[in-house]
Amino acid sequence: MAERTTRLAASAAALAILWLASPAARQESQFQAGRSLAVEAAAARTLAEARTPIPRLPNGRPNFSGSWRLSGGAATYSWEEHLGGFGIASEGPTLVVDPPDGVLPYQPWALAERERRRRPEAAYEENVAKCILPGMPRMMVYNFFIAQAADKVTIFHGTHPATRIVRFDNRRPLPDSIRLWMGDPRGRWDGDTLVVETTNLNGRGWGNLGGDVISDAARIVERFRMINAGTMWWEATMTDPKVFTRPWTMRFPAPHVKIGDGPEDVDLDFEDSCHEGNVDLEHLKNLYDQARKK
Amino acid sequence: MPGRLARLLVVFVAAGLAAAALAGQTRSTPAYTPPRTADGQPDLQGIWRVWGLAQHDLEPHAASYGVPAGLGVVVDPADGLIPYKPWARARRTEHHAKSRIRFPYDPLQNPDPLAKCYIPGVPRITYLGWPFEIVQSKAFVAFVYEWMHIRRMVPLTNRPVPQGIPRWGGVSRGRWEGNTLVVRVTELSDWTWLDAAGNFHSQAAVVEERYTPSGPETLDYDVTITDPDVFTRPWRIRMPIHRQRDARLLEYECHALLEDAGVPLTWERDWDAPLVIPKE
Repeated sequence: MAERTTRLAASAAALAILWLASPAARQESQFQAGRSLAVEAAAARTLAEARTPIPRLPNGRPNFSGSWRLSGGAATYSWEEHLGGFGIASEGPTLVVDPPDGVLPYQPWALAERERRRRPEAAYEENVAKCILPGMPRMMVYNFFIAQAADKVTIFHGTHPATRIVRFDNRRPLPDSIRLWMGDPRGRWDGDTLVVETTNLNGRGWGNLGGDVISDAARIVERFRMINAGTMWWEATMTDPKVFTRPWTMRFPAPHVKIGDGPEDVDLDFEDSCHEGNVDLEHLKNLYDQARKK
Repeated sequence: MPGRLARLLVVFVAAGLAAAALAGQTRSTPAYTPPRTADGQPDLQGIWRVWGLAQHDLEPHAASYGVPAGLGVVVDPADGLIPYKPWARARRTEHHAKSRIRFPYDPLQNPDPLAKCYIPGVPRITYLGWPFEIVQSKAFVAFVYEWMHIRRMVPLTNRPVPQGIPRWGGVSRGRWEGNTLVVRVTELSDWTWLDAAGNFHSQAAVVEERYTPSGPETLDYDVTITDPDVFTRPWRIRMPIHRQRDARLLEYECHALLEDAGVPLTWERDWDAPLVIPKE
C-alpha cells in the first residue's frame, strides 16, 4: 500500500512536471539547463582540433554511429541573427553562411508572412505548440543518435522524437501526392561526407519559433561531415523557389560533439507524451480567436 | 466468504499454472532459421504490419459498424476470453458500450484513448494496423512506428528500469532466446487500452512480447499479459506479423489529422484520473 502511494505520488509529480513544461518551454530548456553555450562552443572547437581518426565501417565509410549533441547554440528562434526579447530567451548569431551577409533571401511575400507569424495571436498556428512534428530542417536543433549500417543510416531524433531511416539504394522518390512533416530522405556519399536530400515536405511546419518559412517546394540537402572521432559539422542547403529568391546554406556556429557510442545519451527511455499533456493550447487559441473577431 | 474467495483463488492459480505449463509445451518452435545481422543476431529488420482484427477486439466478437466480426486472438485461456476479475469485466463492458460509434460522431465523447490520438501503449501499437520498421544494432532493437512517429528503443543490456513513473508505452527491456526476441514491458500506465473494444489493464501489468521469425515474410507474435490487479491469471494472445516488402514507412500524425478534420486540440486533458482497483 505504501509502495502504491509512493508510486502514485511519483506519477503525480511527473504529471505536474509535464503540465508545467509547455512544449516551447521544454524546447527552450534543452538549451538553457546548466549549459553555457559560449563555453561549450569553445570546448567543441578545441575538441575539433584533436587529431583522432574518424571511425569507419568495414566498407570504409565514415561511421557516424553514436549520440550527438549540438554545442553552442541552435536555431530555436530564428535562422538569422536575432536579439533576445519578448518570447525569445536570448540573442543569437545568424546560421546563414550563404548568402555571405547572413540574411535570408526571402521573397517579399514570405518575409511578410514571417512578420505576421511573429504576432502573439499567430502562436496558435505553430506546429510544435500543438506537439506536431517540428519537421525538417527544424528537427536538427535537437540532439540525436545515429545507428549506421552499410545500407542505411538511422537518425533517432530527440525531444520531439521522429526517426529518419536514410537509405542509399537510390530508391524511387515518393509520389508528389505524399507530403510529410519530415519529408522523404534519400542518402548518398560525397567522399566522406554523408549527404541527405529531402523532398516531399508538406510545407506546413514553421522553420522555428520565429516563424521562418519553408514551403512544400523545398529541397533540403544536408551534409554531415566528421572532422575527427568526436566532432561533426552539419550544414544544409535549402532550395525553395516558392519562398526564396536563391538557394541558401545554413550551418550551426559550433560543431556537433559525440557524447557517447550508445543511445543512452539521447534519452533511451524518454517518451514523447507531449500531445497527451498539452494543456496550454486553449490560451493560444483564445488569442487566435480574439484576433479573428476584430 | 473470505475463505471461499481464497479457495477460488487457489483454484484459479492452479488452473493458471496448469494452462501455462500446457501453453509452454504447445508453444511451437518454428523450424525457420532467420538470416543474421553483422553482429550475429537474428535479423528481424524491415517493415512489418499486422493484418488482422485484433485492433478491434482481442476477444471473439460480433460485427458492429465499421468492425468485422472476429474469432479473437486470445490463445490462453482456451475459451478465448480474457480472464478478468468480475469488477474488471464490468468495467470492460462499460468501455465497450461507450466506445461504439454513434452518429453524429464526437471523438471527444469516445473513451478510447486513441480517439484523441493518445499513445496506444504496448501491445496495442503492434496490431493497430499501421506499419512499423525494426532497426537493429548490437545493443538494442528499435521499433519505429508510423503511427504518430512513436518509437521504442529496446535495450538488450541490463539497463535498470526507472521505477515509479508510468509511461504510455511503458519501459522495454529485451533479450534473445534463440531466434526469439523477448521484450519485457513494465511501468505501463493505466491510461491505455488493449484494443478498440475497451479491454484494459492496470499499472501493475507486465507485458512480455515474443517475436519469433517463422519464415522470411512472417514473425510469430506471442504476448503474455500478467496483471494481478485486473486478471485472475496470466493470459496470452498470438498472431502473425507480415513483412511489407513494397511499403515505405510514411507518417500518420494522428492529432494533426484530427485537427484537420475539425477538432481543435484544446480539450481538457482528463486521462490522468487513476484507475481505482477495488479492494477484495
